[in-house]
Amino acid sequence: MTMKKYLCVVRSPSGKCNPPSPSQMEEMYAKFNAWKDKFESNIFDMGSKLGDSGKVVSQSKTVDGPFVEVKEIIGGYMIIEAESMQKAIEVVKESPGVGSPESSVEIREMIQPPME
Amino acid sequence: MKNLVENFFRHEYGHLVAVLTQKVGFTHIQDVEDAVQNALTAALETWTHNGSPEKPHAWLFKVATNNLLGTLRQNNRRAEILEENVQNITASKEQDIESVLSREFKDGILNWLFFCCHPSIATESQLVFALKTLCGFNIKEIANRLFISEANVYKRYSRARKYLQKKSEDFPQLTKYDYNNRLQAVNKVLYLIFTEGYLSSHLKYSIRTEMCEDALRLSTILINNKIGVDPQSFALKALFHLHFARLPARTNDNNELLLLEKQDRKLWDKDHIRQGLYWLSQASTGNNFSRYHAEAGIAIEHCLAPSFEQTNWDKIVKCYELLEKTNPTALHRLNKAVALGQWQGSDAGLSELKSQDIPNWLINSYQYQAVISDLNRRSGNHNQANDSADLAIKLAPTPAIKHSLKLRLNPHS
Repeated sequence: MTMKKYLCVVRSPSGKCNPPSPSQMEEMYAKFNAWKDKFESNIFDMGSKLGDSGKVVSQSKTVDGPFVEVKEIIGGYMIIEAESMQKAIEVVKESPGVGSPESSVEIREMIQPPME
Repeated sequence: MKNLVENFFRHEYGHLVAVLTQKVGFTHIQDVEDAVQNALTAALETWTHNGSPEKPHAWLFKVATNNLLGTLRQNNRRAEILEENVQNITASKEQDIESVLSREFKDGILNWLFFCCHPSIATESQLVFALKTLCGFNIKEIANRLFISEANVYKRYSRARKYLQKKSEDFPQLTKYDYNNRLQAVNKVLYLIFTEGYLSSHLKYSIRTEMCEDALRLSTILINNKIGVDPQSFALKALFHLHFARLPARTNDNNELLLLEKQDRKLWDKDHIRQGLYWLSQASTGNNFSRYHAEAGIAIEHCLAPSFEQTNWDKIVKCYELLEKTNPTALHRLNKAVALGQWQGSDAGLSELKSQDIPNWLINSYQYQAVISDLNRRSGNHNQANDSADLAIKLAPTPAIKHSLKLRLNPHS
């Protein structure tokens, strides 16, 4: 079965939330590693966290972004490899990143040009 | 190195807060706590992506120090001292850096323990302060573990912090006198950390044991230093091991506490018992007999008895008598009556309790009523036994305890 790639965009609420305690971090670390082991073959690129602020460039101008008025900002991304959207959802659903009630992950298929 | 040792994050928090605060002065404790918190957060993010580094202690130490340097830039002198110190540590040969840090951490932890056991700070505040800074629990987790409100924890914590901050802009060099003078308070705080975990009714085994583990870890650091070469500290370490030995057998699969007579003694940890024996023998010097000696003496009799029936109850009663001299509390008297009831029969246990003034809080506890019921039943006073059994079940705080009391006290049958 051919594998498709899915871009996963993690959204979290803007502004500061309570930092996790060391014991909570311990738990998150363990969960994350367990998840990585389980879906090793599906994780194409662990991606990264994104900085809090950036620029938005268009032909006419360059402005500061992300827009301060949005409640959620894009906090990070990763790329999942799976045979179907169904499977990609399964992988993401179990990831500790969606563990916190405020964050969500948007999954979009990365369309590849048809092969010869 | 994917699998870090258990409680790595919590312990590392304590190490770094203790060591870095001592380098930059107590005034900056908030900056230090923030710097350490951020370093741990960075570790969590980086290590889950790229795997953890070969030298995790050094990694965190560098990141936390850099964070702290960033905050302290405006305070040049502090920043300079810290920078120099970090250069000294990180300049040590790459392969040595973890062991240099490990030594630094142990000394730092010990200094910190003596520092926060300041005689002008109430013991309850010392306890909370140590749990927050050395064991890395946050306010909510401490409240949850000590069964007190978050507001109360915060009050205790900030009282200690405020007092220490007022006293010491720098991190004070404690004198030999301070160390000797505070050793008892340090032992007491370790004892409290341990017993809060040991007596806890938390359902999760790991939550009950983590404070016991921390107390044992800190007590090992203490006795490995010349400050801690002291019969009381040895007796305390013996007591920790002897209690620890029996932890795996204290609950059944449903997490209900099991009475001593129902415990499977095969589950007791022989290695801990051996260590307990060793440290108790080390503790038997000098003429300073402490409550830790008496309690360890009781624990060792239980640990060495082949069965509940074959326990040396006479020796246990003797230890309770000694304990009454050092720490007379009603709870010890109740335990002594139980031991007497095993040694000389239930009537002896009952008359021991009748001859004592028992405070109301104890009379109104399910533990007391359960003991009274049990002794009366064995003495053939079934009416009194039933009354106390009913009362015990009524007073029990959780359904699980009510359930096990019903089975044990067997009322009206």
